[in-house]
Amino acid sequence: MTIYSAIFYLLAAVIVATTALAITRRNMVHAVVYLVVSFFGSALLFYLLGAPFLAALEVIIYAGAIMVLFLFIVMMLRIEESKRQLFPLRQWIPAAVICVGYLAVLAAMISGIEADRPVQIAVALPAAFSVWVFRQGWLVVEVASMLLLVTLVGALVIGRPVKPDETADK
Amino acid sequence: MTTIALMTDANLAAAAVSCAVPLLAFGLVMVATRRHPRLSAGISIAAVSLSLLGAVFLLASNWHAPAPQVWSAAWLVSDAVQIPLGVLLDPVSLLMMTVVAAICLLVQIYSLGYMAGDPGFSRYYAFMSLFAWAMLSLTLSSSLFQLYVFWELVGLASYLLIGFWFEKFSASQAGKKAFVMTRLGDVAFMLGLFVLLVGAGTLDVTAVNGKAAAQMDPAALTLAALLIFGGIVGKSAQFPLLTWLPDAMEGPTPVSALLHSATMVAAGVFLFARLFPFFSQSPAAMSVFLAIGTVSMLLSSTMAMVSRDIKQVWAYSTVSQLGFMIMGLAAGSYFAGVFHLTTHAGFKALLFLCSGVVIHALGTNDMFEIARKNGRRLKLAMVCMTLAAAALSGIPPLSGFFSKESILVALAGLDNPIWFAAGLLGVFLTAYYAFRLIFIILFPRSELAEPEAEHGIGTAMGSALVILAAATLGLGFAEAPLARFLSGDPAAAHAGPHLPWLPYAGIGLAAGGLLLAWFEFGRPAADQKGFVERVPALEALFANRWYIDAFYARMVSRLVDRGVAWLCAKTDQRVIDAGLDAASRNLIRSSGVLSTLQSGMIQHRLLVLFAVVVMLGLYFIA
Amino acid sequence: MIVPYSHILALAGIVFLLGMICTVTRRNLILMLLGLEIMLNAAAIALVGASLRWMAMDGQAMALFIVVVAAGEVSLGLALIVCVHRSTGSVDPALENRSAPENPSA
Repeated sequence: MTIYSAIFYLLAAVIVATTALAITRRNMVHAVVYLVVSFFGSALLFYLLGAPFLAALEVIIYAGAIMVLFLFIVMMLRIEESKRQLFPLRQWIPAAVICVGYLAVLAAMISGIEADRPVQIAVALPAAFSVWVFRQGWLVVEVASMLLLVTLVGALVIGRPVKPDETADK
Repeated sequence: MTTIALMTDANLAAAAVSCAVPLLAFGLVMVATRRHPRLSAGISIAAVSLSLLGAVFLLASNWHAPAPQVWSAAWLVSDAVQIPLGVLLDPVSLLMMTVVAAICLLVQIYSLGYMAGDPGFSRYYAFMSLFAWAMLSLTLSSSLFQLYVFWELVGLASYLLIGFWFEKFSASQAGKKAFVMTRLGDVAFMLGLFVLLVGAGTLDVTAVNGKAAAQMDPAALTLAALLIFGGIVGKSAQFPLLTWLPDAMEGPTPVSALLHSATMVAAGVFLFARLFPFFSQSPAAMSVFLAIGTVSMLLSSTMAMVSRDIKQVWAYSTVSQLGFMIMGLAAGSYFAGVFHLTTHAGFKALLFLCSGVVIHALGTNDMFEIARKNGRRLKLAMVCMTLAAAALSGIPPLSGFFSKESILVALAGLDNPIWFAAGLLGVFLTAYYAFRLIFIILFPRSELAEPEAEHGIGTAMGSALVILAAATLGLGFAEAPLARFLSGDPAAAHAGPHLPWLPYAGIGLAAGGLLLAWFEFGRPAADQKGFVERVPALEALFANRWYIDAFYARMVSRLVDRGVAWLCAKTDQRVIDAGLDAASRNLIRSSGVLSTLQSGMIQHRLLVLFAVVVMLGLYFIA
Repeated sequence: MIVPYSHILALAGIVFLLGMICTVTRRNLILMLLGLEIMLNAAAIALVGASLRWMAMDGQAMALFIVVVAAGEVSLGLALIVCVHRSTGSVDPALENRSAPENPSA
């Protein structure tokens, strides 16, 4: 049990705990904030697993931009807390059944992999990583940027306020 | 049996022509001459005359022929089973053929007068020809299967003729009843044929009477005999299938004379005679036959004693005499049964035809009504009827006396005296009920109705009566020649112990019956109430046919209507309908369940998505 | 020496499961989207672990693109949710959403 594995398990516990908390909150702001913590944990995990660039990206984009966007929308829409039962049984039971199946599959999948050989420690330096991405994965970069463009345009279009005289066209 | 044989062999040609010509007449009348009654009658009578000529020719030319002649052609052949189509000419078939043809002709001539003016005149003659064809072919059949086919055809003709006046509900009911009851017997007959086929391997009459039967397992032989006798019970209206014959009197009287006294019901007895060697090999079966014949004879005699309808009296009498014939055959005397069959055909047909004259003239069947309407003035009819009744009772020197005596001799030869006693009792009762009818008509008690205008009996009807009366008078003296013809030795006429007192016992009992009838009905001071009618319970019992009909009605109602029909109805309702209803209800319910899948809720669809992924994972891992 | 790769996969699996539960069970469109984000994150963890296991950059590149796609998808998704809220007044995914009057503040 090296220090790294201890850190790993700690981080794993944090991630799982906060995610679990996030999905069971009634108050959506609480849920989002818990999730932000979870993503922080993920970022640390990425750093541990030798991807510092990704860790940074995780914090900036995922925890920073996406979750903040969530918060914006939550506050903008002023959604009230639902007073109903949080996990109604009718939806919960099929999900539970699938969980069981899923866990069985997971256990089966994991047990096939060599359980004793720990992964080595390595780091992908950001510079090397970036060079690799632009050299080997240049096509995906282009496609991703096009995707982002499309998303931008789409969000603009969808989010445009509806003028009263335009409802007739829609 | 090739066409060449048909041409060259005179016997075969005569037989084939005699059988086929009535069929041609039937076809012709049904198709072409329905609107021309006189022409139809002419065609039919000509056809039957031809058949009679053929029959007489065959009888004459084969009078001294020693052995039966058989021609057969392969018909149904399948591996080991061979059922041929053929003609068998042996003494009993020749005799029967002559009897049938003669009575057919006489009845058809009689019908010219009786059925004159009836709208269905042509149809009547067509059916008469159909019957003639079927009956003649039955008597000449060489294999039991062929015989069965014509047996059924004869039943069909009977149904058509009983229900001839089908507008009358009771007539069509009677036709249906006759057909169904005889059919019941025929089912047993068919089963017997199967047992015979399986056991003996052949249905050819000569073979069955000969070697094939001897090789059969005795139990199978008895079973086959009993089952075939079932057919005889049905056709000859023996106990327990005897109630269709009194109801069959709904048909025109000539039909009753032809079918239900002389020929069709005699087909059962004819079959017995045909298979006499076969049946003789099973003593157990023969005793059963004897019992059934005795019971039928006594039962129907009692029913005749209280009946008011003249045709019904003669119908019961027919059942009784058929039972008597079966007693004679079952007692072991081939000649006795066949001889009585021949003489009975004569005088029973005469009785019916005379009754027909009376009914036609006076319009009623009831004997007291007839007496009231001064029926005794129809002199020819009454004379012939008295003659025939005397023959029926067994009064010498009429034909009935000789034939009854031969049966009594055969019965006396049996070990158990009960059969002989039953036979004597039968003779007594027969004389009693026959003369009861005669005396009631001859000596009316109540007011005589105004005599209506005499319209004499027509030539057609009259000539038939006279010919039959002559036969009744003379046939008895043909006993010895017939015996020699039928069985080859004249001593067969008196097969059995030589009891010199026996004829006198018979005459004595017949006279006793006659005297009792005179005492109760004929005497001027008598009140015309029989000794049975004084006991209301007995009278009710006899009048209701010993409640056999009521029993059948109850059984049919219980078994068929409430049993089988109820079962079918309930199955239809509860099983089939309810099954369909349940299926459709469940379908609707399951579709309701399934429709929750289409809730439009995206989370359900996502759930399904994840479920599929998990299952795929399970599939690939496992 | 860190942990065996199966442990990393186990972690990723459990986080994915949690995300799936959130998506399928919560009656709120925004939380459904949140669940999607959790699931994507779990995939990224698995990919990074795999990249470390096989000492190849491909895993990390894929994780990078996952983050990119997640960003785009969240923005569009939230825009759609805002639309839905504007026209029906609720973010309940069930069809019991009824037309609500236009939100004057939107």
